[in-house]
Amino acid sequence: MNREKIEKTLFILPTCLFLLAISIFPFIYSVYLSAFQAKLTKMHRKFFIGWENYQILLFEDDVFLTAIQNTFTIAFSSITIEIILGFIMAKIFFEIRHLKISNAIRTISILPIMLTPLCVGLVFLYILNPTLGIFSYIVETFFGLEPIAYLGQPIPAKISIICINSWQWTPFMMILLLAGLMTVPNEQYEAAKIDGANWYHVMTKIEIPSILGFMLLGIVLRLIECIRLFDIIYVTTRGGPGIATEVMAYFTYRTEFRSFQIGTGSASAVIILIISIIVTTIAVTLLRRVERDADFS
Amino acid sequence: MKKIILFLSIFILPFSSASAVNWSEELGDHSGVDLKVQSIMDPYIDAVKEISPTFTSVTGASVTVEGFGYDGLHEKQIVACSQGDSSYDVLFVDGIWIGEFVEGDCIAPVEDLWTEEGTDMSVIAWDDYISSFAGQAIWDGKKQCLPFGGYWHMLHYRTDLFEAEGLEPPKTFDDVLAAAKLFKDNPKYPELEGGYAMNMARGSAAGQQFYEWIYSAGGKPWESNYPGSPDAYADQRGLYNSAESVAFIEWMQEMINYMPPGVEQYAWDERAKAFTQGKVAMINNWSVRTPLFNDPEISKVIGKFDVALFPHAEGASSVPPVGGWIACVNKHSKNIDAAWDYLKWFASPEVHREWVLTGAPPSRHSAMNDPQINAEQPWTPVLYESSLRAWQELRPRHALTFEVIETLGIEVNKALTGEASAQEAMDAANKKIDRLLKSEGYID
Repeated sequence: MNREKIEKTLFILPTCLFLLAISIFPFIYSVYLSAFQAKLTKMHRKFFIGWENYQILLFEDDVFLTAIQNTFTIAFSSITIEIILGFIMAKIFFEIRHLKISNAIRTISILPIMLTPLCVGLVFLYILNPTLGIFSYIVETFFGLEPIAYLGQPIPAKISIICINSWQWTPFMMILLLAGLMTVPNEQYEAAKIDGANWYHVMTKIEIPSILGFMLLGIVLRLIECIRLFDIIYVTTRGGPGIATEVMAYFTYRTEFRSFQIGTGSASAVIILIISIIVTTIAVTLLRRVERDADFS
Repeated sequence: MKKIILFLSIFILPFSSASAVNWSEELGDHSGVDLKVQSIMDPYIDAVKEISPTFTSVTGASVTVEGFGYDGLHEKQIVACSQGDSSYDVLFVDGIWIGEFVEGDCIAPVEDLWTEEGTDMSVIAWDDYISSFAGQAIWDGKKQCLPFGGYWHMLHYRTDLFEAEGLEPPKTFDDVLAAAKLFKDNPKYPELEGGYAMNMARGSAAGQQFYEWIYSAGGKPWESNYPGSPDAYADQRGLYNSAESVAFIEWMQEMINYMPPGVEQYAWDERAKAFTQGKVAMINNWSVRTPLFNDPEISKVIGKFDVALFPHAEGASSVPPVGGWIACVNKHSKNIDAAWDYLKWFASPEVHREWVLTGAPPSRHSAMNDPQINAEQPWTPVLYESSLRAWQELRPRHALTFEVIETLGIEVNKALTGEASAQEAMDAANKKIDRLLKSEGYID
């Protein structure tokens, strides 16, 4: 090995060691533990059971299977809402970008992203309280409807979680889409105007194709975030009522830190990781294809 | 004034010739030790903080009491134990966690400590503990911790409302249902949001609720567990889907119609708050929270409530739930001697009495029969009767208790929120709990 190669190796060695210590080793250890029946209070008596934890989780445990289903239901619904509302908001901010106040409004509108999900969950817990919450008051006073337990009934609870999640992350999608809209050349708008295109044509033929890459990037990032969704569930519903809002991350937490079943919890964490990798790979492949198509067009 | 009386009654005790125990002789010198106590954030925690300086004056050890929520406390204690953490010296542990703590080798058994030390057993006064509660501190045939905060369930009801309607306090499930129905949405009582409130939140809250009621419903959770059973853990095959269990869940499904909106998310605090704020006519509640209903700072029902024995189904008898907290020495503590001294001092009959007079729950026969305690906590006679009728194996106490209760709580909550029928939910609960127990070899 020549001197230059040794130097290069020495330069990347600390990073490799760092990655090995904080990412790769815990992951490998997690995979190792997932093959055992292990409880935190008696780790010295853990015993090897092979694939059994995976088999139970993927084929027998209806709570975990529901958690996978709920995670994707919440993810897809939230992201769809975020894209629609985010696009509308981005369009509004794009149209008023020349106004001095637009910067201030834009800053205020992204405040939800800056809040920690725990705080967001707590705030909505109070807002949605059936007897003391402002939402119940509004619904009762203005619409004459009896307040219900928004977080205590299966369907309303799921809808509430989707709304809370969307409320917090729509501004994120808005910022991405606004950045995309800013990249659309002004000439295209002028040409469309001369050709007599209406708003719908502008949106579908110019804007959406131009911002598709930004949109996909947002979807990828939000998908990863939604697969890890935990805090809001922890504060508001704890996966309930029943298992209506049980999601994968909360299931893993419960198994690891409430039941202290380290083997099952590790298996669940590994499954989440594999699902994340698959979903991200698909999304990134799509993203690259869109970018390539955009380059050719 | 109360503090002065408390100070005089406790502080001078070690030096008083009339004192039953000479604490200066019984306790060691622990000057310089900062004893850390890890506790649940239950209403008694202020009373623990209030009396602990007396221990400091006798032994020189300062005492820091830190409180946590129920689930958080369990999580912290087990994780700390698995790491051999010595941050806390004294652990207040829920009696039902005892099997898990013993299995994890987290605690130094008090029976070993008092044998090694040759402790004066009149300080421990084990026979003075009410047996249904004392049993919570025993596991593997050994006394592991000292019981101190026994709770029993009583039915709490609003005397003003019951008198106005000419009703007697409910004795049976049917009485409870009829009264709940009467008070729900009754225009005469617009401040009421429901007739009754129960713990219905998914997880521990709903799971524990099942165990609290099932014996009085005439059922039992598993084959060999019934009041008076010689060995409750001999046959743990589940009976969660027995006719009695399903009938009880169906009764709860009917009861939920007469409860406040949002009751599906009620746990201990929400249930007590609903009664304190005058929003429900009845609750079943742990006795530790009963003094709160007379607290002028938070209660709207002062002088308007009374207690009765836990209700029972027709043909069954009342088996009031028992629970509460036991004090254990952290096996990994660096101050085991000081921790043991604190335990025997704190749980002793005379300090227990003073602690109870500061607003904490009585757990000993002597405290239950104490005239001053009876005068200050007028519900004590009903509480005492409840404690004598209670069954110590109310909930499982083995190492899987938390998981079993959580699993059951999810299924019960599913039945209560309409995600499953009572039979479906309890069939699922039985299957899952049996599988759990099999995985750890509790059943074949």
